[in-house]
Amino acid sequence: MVMGLLVALKSVNPEFLTFSPFLTEYLTYGRIRPVHTNTALIGWLTSAFFGMLFYGVPALCKTELYSEKLAMFTAVLFTVNYFIGAGSILAGYQTGVEYAELPLIFDVVIVIVVALLFFNLMKTVANRKEKSLYVSLWYWMGSVMFLAIVYIVGNIPAEWIGSGIIQAGYYYFYLHNIIGLWFTVVGVGTIYYLLPKLTHRPIYSHKLSLVGFWFIAAFYSWNGPHHLINGPIPLWLMKAGIIPSILLLIPVWSVLANIVGTMKGVWFKVSQNVPLKFLITGALFYGLSCIQGPFQSLMGPHAVLHFSYWTVGHAHMPLFGGFSLVMFSGIYYVLPRLVYRHIYSDTLMNWHYWLSVLGFLVFGFAMWTAGIIQGFEWMDGKQLGASFLKVMESLHIFLISRAVGGSMMFLGQIIFAWNVYRTVKAGQQIAADDPIIVSR
Amino acid sequence: MANNSERNPGILLFGAAMLVMTGLLGTVILPYFDETTVTPTETAQLKNYPTDSAEARGRHVYIREGCIWCHTQQVRPVRADSKLGPVSQPGDYYYDAPIIMMTQRTGPDLTWVGSRYSPEWQYAHLINPQKIAGPGSIMPKYDYLSEQDLQDLVAYLMSLKPAPKQSQ
Repeated sequence: MVMGLLVALKSVNPEFLTFSPFLTEYLTYGRIRPVHTNTALIGWLTSAFFGMLFYGVPALCKTELYSEKLAMFTAVLFTVNYFIGAGSILAGYQTGVEYAELPLIFDVVIVIVVALLFFNLMKTVANRKEKSLYVSLWYWMGSVMFLAIVYIVGNIPAEWIGSGIIQAGYYYFYLHNIIGLWFTVVGVGTIYYLLPKLTHRPIYSHKLSLVGFWFIAAFYSWNGPHHLINGPIPLWLMKAGIIPSILLLIPVWSVLANIVGTMKGVWFKVSQNVPLKFLITGALFYGLSCIQGPFQSLMGPHAVLHFSYWTVGHAHMPLFGGFSLVMFSGIYYVLPRLVYRHIYSDTLMNWHYWLSVLGFLVFGFAMWTAGIIQGFEWMDGKQLGASFLKVMESLHIFLISRAVGGSMMFLGQIIFAWNVYRTVKAGQQIAADDPIIVSR
Repeated sequence: MANNSERNPGILLFGAAMLVMTGLLGTVILPYFDETTVTPTETAQLKNYPTDSAEARGRHVYIREGCIWCHTQQVRPVRADSKLGPVSQPGDYYYDAPIIMMTQRTGPDLTWVGSRYSPEWQYAHLINPQKIAGPGSIMPKYDYLSEQDLQDLVAYLMSLKPAPKQSQ
């Protein structure tokens, strides 16, 4: 259990989110880009959430993890597999399917790891001492199963699927649901786990959290086609993508309402507790991106914003602003309980917070503004050749802003890594009678 | 608060899996039964490259070097795409494996780029985009590619044209 999280921490990649079009002399942009997305998705967030599961599931079941050896094995296999896979993209073996660029062999290993992990966690749940399943367990068990389904669908080789546009159905199902059915579900489960722990208050409404779970399961899976609105697909398929996208306002509202309800009367704790600050900000960004999402999925806004830099901003909001912040909070919460040391420095935690959040805001607003300008310039007919290039040149300032924002985020992560390292090495030891030990 | 079925992880997982599978059926499997998606157009025939032809190898280079991350291959019936040429049809992509219409338009759309420039222009532009298109271009130089790769890539780019008899 301890090692599972540590290996997850090691995968916090140092090149986290910093590349920009200006750094491409070193490695060509077209190969760096998929390595960046894969490292953020698979290398960082997935590993980190696996670590959270290995800690949280046994804790909620009041029992030991079914097999620590198996967990250790999956963690090492997953990490090694990812590093070799990322190397193979740089060497020129990307598949050309967005977010699924790893060659097939690495995908097979990932599916095996997920299956073993699922088996391990289910066995733990079956051996549980606490009979009631807390809502986080719902989300977490569901998420691992969804991950397996989504990952398999997204990585079926194109040759087996047939007609090109049908492939798009598979791949956009994956592209959207690796976020919607894996990160969202595991992330919301983590929010529901951490929030009562950090505030020492019960969740506002159990029923509301279950409503959220079933709505996510029912509607997220339909979202793939909204990436192809106005595109070469039949009209009925667009509608099948747009309507559930808008209905997703329901689960995100249920999560936010639950958080606000739980926080009622204890909002002041946000200013005193840095992990809680991370968690609440993460939940806020998650909420914002889920309001942005349905808006973009309408045909009108989509016609302007699709293909533009807006999408880059939108993609970073749930993944960095939302679930990475949630996971930072999770790591700051779990780490002291694993190594029996307090977090090395609260000041550094605060620096990590402000650099990440402000950096992301600079990054996000640069991308959204640039995207809107791009969209309307294209509508003015500047779609090709010299006029296209003029639009690009006018956006230069936004690309610089993005690089500045990205650098702030990057600096934040270096501080984070240093703080984690120092905590493990030299954090203040926790006394045996400290409430932190009892409260796990 | 919690009723008995809430304590059973089996029921929970089964229900959730069924809901996700419904979405999968609706958005991934159902399109197989729509005529427009499974009928190749004449443009698709043009892009049905024989194995190991220059165009097929060029397409591989196009994916390997990540051209796909900045260049879309999809023309929509909207104002933002009005000057890009004929609107893409579902059947145009029939033989693409994998499909590479992609999601980012950092550079211009390349759906019909073959009808816009000459092979010589393409070749020179790949080697030094800033010299050919203008100093403001942020496209990387592909001067590190082998002569063979460059020729193949140009052949692929030149093949991206609408079929001559297409009705629109």
